[in-house]
Amino acid sequence: MVEISVNDVGMVYSRNETVALEGVTLDVEKGEFISLLGPSGCGKTTLLRIIANLLEPTSGTVTVAGGTPEQARKNRKYGIVFQRPVLQSWRTVRKNIELPLEIMHVPPEERRARSDAMLKMIRLRNFVDAYPDELSGGMQQRVGIARALVIEPEILLMDEPFSALDEFTRERLQGDLLSIWQESKKTIVFVTHNIAEAVYLSDRVCVFSPRPGRLSAVVDVKLPRPRPPEIRDTAEFVEYVARVRGSFEGI
Amino acid sequence: MGRLRRLTDSNLFVTIVWIAALVCVWEIAASYIETVKRTPENVLPHLWQIGQSVVSTKPVAGGQTALQIVLTAAAATLSRAGLGFVIGAGLGFVLALLMKLSGIVEKIAFPYLMIIQMIPILGMAPIVLGITGDIGVSRVAIAAILTFYPVAANTLAGLKSTEPEKDSLFRSYAATLPQTYVKLYIPVALPYLFTGLKIAAPLAVTASILVDTLQGDGGLGCMLSQSLKHAMSIFVFWQIVFLSAIVGVLSLNAMVWLERLVLPNERRKGKWNKASEAESAA
Repeated sequence: MVEISVNDVGMVYSRNETVALEGVTLDVEKGEFISLLGPSGCGKTTLLRIIANLLEPTSGTVTVAGGTPEQARKNRKYGIVFQRPVLQSWRTVRKNIELPLEIMHVPPEERRARSDAMLKMIRLRNFVDAYPDELSGGMQQRVGIARALVIEPEILLMDEPFSALDEFTRERLQGDLLSIWQESKKTIVFVTHNIAEAVYLSDRVCVFSPRPGRLSAVVDVKLPRPRPPEIRDTAEFVEYVARVRGSFEGI
Repeated sequence: MGRLRRLTDSNLFVTIVWIAALVCVWEIAASYIETVKRTPENVLPHLWQIGQSVVSTKPVAGGQTALQIVLTAAAATLSRAGLGFVIGAGLGFVLALLMKLSGIVEKIAFPYLMIIQMIPILGMAPIVLGITGDIGVSRVAIAAILTFYPVAANTLAGLKSTEPEKDSLFRSYAATLPQTYVKLYIPVALPYLFTGLKIAAPLAVTASILVDTLQGDGGLGCMLSQSLKHAMSIFVFWQIVFLSAIVGVLSLNAMVWLERLVLPNERRKGKWNKASEAESAA
C-alpha cells in the first residue's frame, strides 16, 4: 500500500527563481524506510518540507496517507524531527515530550502514560525531570525523536537528524532508530547527506542531484534485517555504498 | 594563597573595594571643602553628617524631621513611579504582541515609538502636565511613557527570536495561533521582556523624581528642589540623593528577583554540568 505519493513535483523559489526541485516522482510504501540522499542544494529537504505541508510545491501533486499533505498535517499523521533538537529550554524532558499532546488536548493522565512509554523507549527515564541543557547532544536528539513519536503518527519525517552528532553517537542512534522502526512499523522518510547512513538504515535510497534538484537514481538496499552495526564492515555493505556513490550525477 | 585568590575573585570583594574607594575620595574632598568654603554642607558634607541627619529627631520643617519628610515624599513619588511602570510595561507588552501579530501595526507604530523615546523628558514633562493638569497623574504618565518603549522594543525582539524550526514544529502539530503564542512565542520572549523591565525600572524612578520638581505637591523631586533653595535643611537634599540612588539600584534588583521567580530555569543555568552520554547507558 502506498503511504506517500509524489507526482511530478517541482519547486521554484520565486525570490531568486532558483529551481529547487524538478519533476520528482516517487512512491513510498507503508512501513517502508526510505532515504532522500544528496549534497546540499539538491532539494531533498525541500521535498521533505513539501510532504510535511510546510511548503507548497509550485507544480505537481503529493498524496500523504490517502489525502492532501494539508489534511495529513491537520490530522497529525506525521511526526517530524529536525537537524537540531529544538527542545524548549524552559521545559523538562517529560514536558518537552508531552508538548504535542498538550496542543492536542490529551488529558494529563494519558499524557503521562504516553511520555513514560517514550522515555522508556529512548532510555532516558533517569532524566525525566532534567532540562535540555543538562543533556548531551545525542540525548537531546533522542528526546526530539520521542516528541515526534508520542503522537503515534503513521509517518516519521526526519531532516538530517544525526548530522550534528559525533560519529559514535550517530552510529548508536542509527541502531536505536532501526529498533524503534522495527517495533513500530512506521513509514520513515529520512533526509541525509551521509551515504553509509542511508545504506545502513534504508530499504531504498533515493539519490538527488543538485542544480536543478532532481531524483537521479533509486537504489534498493536488500541487506538482511535486522541489521547489526557490524554489517557496515561486510563486503555487501561496502558494495552498496559504492553503487550509491556511483549514481550521483554532475557533482 | 588559594583562599586569598578566592576572596579577591568574589563579587562581594569587588563591591567592598568600590565602596571603600568612593568613601575615601568623598571624605578627602569633604575635608578639603571644609577648609575653603563657609558652608561646606551645601557643597559636600561629611558622610557622617548625612548619617547624623538621618537619625536626628530635630524637626527641620513643618514639625517633621528630615527623615520623615524624605520618607513621606518617597512614598508619594515611588508609588506613582511604580504604578506608571506597571501600566507602561503592560501597554508595552500588549503593543509588542500586536506588532508581532500584524506587520502593518509594526510598520506604523515602531518608528514613532522611537521618537517618543528621543524627546527629552524635561521637554515632555511640562507638556504632559499641561494635558493632564495634575502632577500626580503626570508622574504616572511619564513613568509609563519611559517604561513603555524599552519593554515594547525588547519584547518585540523576543517575539521575533523564535527559531524557524520551532515555527515549523508547531505548524506540524496543527497548533492554533493562541497555542503558538502561549506555548512558544511568549515563553521565548520572556527573558527579553525582563531585559526591557531592567532598563525601564530605574528610568521610571528617575523620571518621576524629575517630574516632581515641576510643581509643589510633595514628592522627592519637590523636596529636593526646596531643600536646595534652603527652604529647609540642606541635609534633606543629601538624604534624597542617597535614597534615590539606593531605590534605583533596588528597582533593578527587584526585576532581577522577579525574573528568577518567573523563569526558574534561568537561575538554574550554569549550575549543572552536562550529563555525559555514558550515564544514559546505565
